[in-house]
Amino acid sequence: MDNGVGAFVRAGQRQKAGRAGLRWLRSLAGVVGLGLASMAAGAAVPEPAAVPAAPAHELILSASINRSYVIGSKLVTLSGLYRRTGEGTFEHFGPNLLHVSAASFDPRDHRMIYLAMLNGALFSRDGGERFRIATGWDMTEPKDVAVDPNAPDTVYLALPDGFAVSTDRGWTWGRREKGLPDRGKYTQAIEVDRTRAGRLLIGCEAGLFLTENGGVRWRRVLPTRATVYDVRQSPANPAWWMAATQRDGVQVSRDSGATWTRIPDLAEDGAWYNIDFGTLQPNRIALSSWNQGLVVSEDGGRTWTPRREGLPTDGRIMRVGIDPDTDALYVSVRTEDVYRSDDFGRTWRETGLKGSTVSQFLFLRKPSP
Amino acid sequence: MTTPSRRPCVVAAWFAVCLLLAGASILRAQPSHVGPMPSTLPVASAEERRVAYEARIAEVLEWYSSLSKPSDPLIGDLVGVSVRLALGRDLERCSRSVIELMKSPGSSPFWMFPAAGVAYLGRDRLSPEARAAIRRAWSSVMQLRGDTENHWAMYYASLYLMAQLYPNEPGSSWYTGKSSEENLAEARDYLIHWMRLTTTIGQGEFTCSHYIGEYAIPLTYLAAWAEDPAMRLRARMMLDWIFADQFANSLDGVLHGANARTDDTSVIERWNSLSSFFSWLLLGNTPPPAAYGGFGVYFATVARHYDLPEVIYRIGVDRGGDFMQRDLKRSRRRWRGSDVEMAPIYKLNYSRRDYAVGSYQGGISDPIQAHVWDVTWSVPDPRGVHNTMFSMHPVSSMEDLQMYFAEFPEQMMRSVTTEGKASYDSPDKFLGASRYEQVLQDQDTVIALYNIAPGTRFPHINGFLSKDLVDLTEDASGWIFARGGNAFLAYRPLAPYELQRALVYRSSWTGSKQDSGDRRLYSPHLRNGTIVQAASASEFPSFAAFQAAIRALPLRFSLEPVPTVSFTSLRGRKLEFTYGRTPVVNGRPIDTSAWKLFEGPYLNAERGSQKLTLTNGRLERILDFNTLTITDRIRNP
Repeated sequence: MDNGVGAFVRAGQRQKAGRAGLRWLRSLAGVVGLGLASMAAGAAVPEPAAVPAAPAHELILSASINRSYVIGSKLVTLSGLYRRTGEGTFEHFGPNLLHVSAASFDPRDHRMIYLAMLNGALFSRDGGERFRIATGWDMTEPKDVAVDPNAPDTVYLALPDGFAVSTDRGWTWGRREKGLPDRGKYTQAIEVDRTRAGRLLIGCEAGLFLTENGGVRWRRVLPTRATVYDVRQSPANPAWWMAATQRDGVQVSRDSGATWTRIPDLAEDGAWYNIDFGTLQPNRIALSSWNQGLVVSEDGGRTWTPRREGLPTDGRIMRVGIDPDTDALYVSVRTEDVYRSDDFGRTWRETGLKGSTVSQFLFLRKPSP
Repeated sequence: MTTPSRRPCVVAAWFAVCLLLAGASILRAQPSHVGPMPSTLPVASAEERRVAYEARIAEVLEWYSSLSKPSDPLIGDLVGVSVRLALGRDLERCSRSVIELMKSPGSSPFWMFPAAGVAYLGRDRLSPEARAAIRRAWSSVMQLRGDTENHWAMYYASLYLMAQLYPNEPGSSWYTGKSSEENLAEARDYLIHWMRLTTTIGQGEFTCSHYIGEYAIPLTYLAAWAEDPAMRLRARMMLDWIFADQFANSLDGVLHGANARTDDTSVIERWNSLSSFFSWLLLGNTPPPAAYGGFGVYFATVARHYDLPEVIYRIGVDRGGDFMQRDLKRSRRRWRGSDVEMAPIYKLNYSRRDYAVGSYQGGISDPIQAHVWDVTWSVPDPRGVHNTMFSMHPVSSMEDLQMYFAEFPEQMMRSVTTEGKASYDSPDKFLGASRYEQVLQDQDTVIALYNIAPGTRFPHINGFLSKDLVDLTEDASGWIFARGGNAFLAYRPLAPYELQRALVYRSSWTGSKQDSGDRRLYSPHLRNGTIVQAASASEFPSFAAFQAAIRALPLRFSLEPVPTVSFTSLRGRKLEFTYGRTPVVNGRPIDTSAWKLFEGPYLNAERGSQKLTLTNGRLERILDFNTLTITDRIRNP
């Protein structure tokens, strides 16, 4: 932990994982026979080590398995929250919930879970056994939810018509939209700066907006022509941020989100869905996209490579996540399986949740024993 | 991910099951569906009307009740249970069936409202165990609220009634995690909010061919069962409001003109919709669709709680002469890609005995199922008849979908076409509205102009020319002439075209099509337009005389740089319309700022007023949501 507070890690918002995870990765690579030689051929793959360590993080997925479900049809599948219980196995927990866009956990107590889903924001106080729909009719279809790791009573909510905050652990919610445009405040993504309470960026239709005071006032730091779908802070360098957009390509900031530059090698048009940073190897970055598929960098974004071979389609990559303990790469191919790669996308294997569409890979730091 | 708002396909699936259950005897069991056309003459006696109304209710209930055998151990669905509870039959089997059905509750408003209906219809008829099973189901499964106004109407009406039925219970006993009182308050607040919105700036899902059921059913539930007299009255008044609106836009019981939402079938066979069920049940002037439109069965279980006011009945069946109605509606809520949250919809309806012309100004009121304009003619029997004419730009656009859906762009297109809207991405469809279409209607003249952006997925327009048109002629003048019933029709394409076989959709799920005998006017030009002029056959000594009159009308148009038309209509009115500019009629620009919520001989309301005056002859009813009063009076002659 680089800031001394918070015990959870959201994909792309990681704390330093230390050497143990790295060693475990190397061990895993040997166990599953991936071939260390081929791994070593990669640009930044470290030397193998011998001692495995228990993973420090639990993988939680928000996933829908719907088989053409529409409102009104019979729900015959199990959707909502899953946790990885082993290699290739995922266990559903909590209610059967379609349309969960995102989950966030209170770093002090993982039984306190917040969800963004079709019905609004939900919270649970018992690890997901039961939820309360925390918002009313005037807030619907939130796309993201995030606990402030430095002020964990505060929870942020991205709404299709703006932004809301709860300062009492989800019981009550109020809109905080001063500085957001009347139109163009469709909000898809939230990333809380792990270095300072109340500092966060949100991805909206009209661009990226920054607040330094928990949403009391916003200012636009990047105008865009269409929705910003993701914004992430590097786990290695808190000043390094990236944003995925629909029509303005992939953007990068090296000054904590104050200024942004488009990455010229990546397509400008056609939505980029999400970004994740590596933790063990911070120069690793992965991007998901419907049209471009999976694109990765292993040199901190200087060069980019499509990694499609072994995946069932060239595109339709809904989500990508990088395991902070192992650097394993997970992708969700729409209504297919979750796929895992232990060599950063060079080879793939199915790892479960057949027929799913994952909206979030969330790596939750396990409590200290 | 899914695209949630796909109701008609679900109903269609349910309807298909009904057909299978009924087998070959289904049509015999629905006497009004297959029987002779009902009279369209008004019934003067209120008592006679009520008796006939209740007979129709009984017909629906008996038909559905007959679909399963008494020897079947269980009733297989909630609507079957509702029907038997409404009839007071098989109560012990109803209880057993409810216990079984509640073992796997649904997860949406389409389960909630039938379940709430069973709970109320069975309050004093179901066993304690069955009632307890219903109660448990509202605790165990998260109900999705959905993403459309009709979803929310069903969701909150159902939640309201269930919270009312089980007061003082904690959040732990409800799927919402909220107490009975919290659920009731939230539901009440939303319902009142929706009513206020509708009665000030117009209905969102306006004059829908099917979705009227999703409003009528929950509103009738509330009118019947809400304990709060204010909510009961509000619901009752809203029922009057939407039925009056629907019937003013119906021609002999057949909904015509613009719809916020319709479907691939109803847009060309205008009678074949749930709306016709309500016309049949409440007005008695047209046959009901097969299986009573599916949702009609639900309505029938509570229909005795509603009594159509005479003034609305007469608006539906006894209108006298020609009339023009101007209404204000609003688009579906726009999340993004728009300067406004809800766009105003300026809707027109010009009705005559032989035909009706309806439209709104163009643009996207709803992303998938809107219908912008048509001329629909009266026929002796509308069953199987495609009595309509229109043109449209078929749209398939991620940007348009994103405007209304909070989803990722590319997957949304995939979802739409694989989850119940197969025609959406088809160039030959007849369903949908376009941002590149602008419409001017003046009485029975329509000018539709198209200025389709280069690169648009489907760069053409489709005109619908029905199999039921007679004497269709492509005239050397450029006009296409035809007769539809007692209407003479003139259709003027403004750009080159070809007539093709029209393939109409049989299934919105599979996308299977069939040759309907209709024709598709295919015009692959970005700058385009259509002029349609209608008239009654009785106005001319012959069809040839009508054609001669049309040919003689002054018409100038050009398509570059944008479509522009100057046309003097059959009614002698000079129409000047240029794409992107305010239309001008007889030298005066159309002023939409003065557009009222309703304006016409039958429905009148000021914008923002929450007060609707319904008039027919000397009858008048005022629905005032400000004071929660209904005032009936007989006006002075």
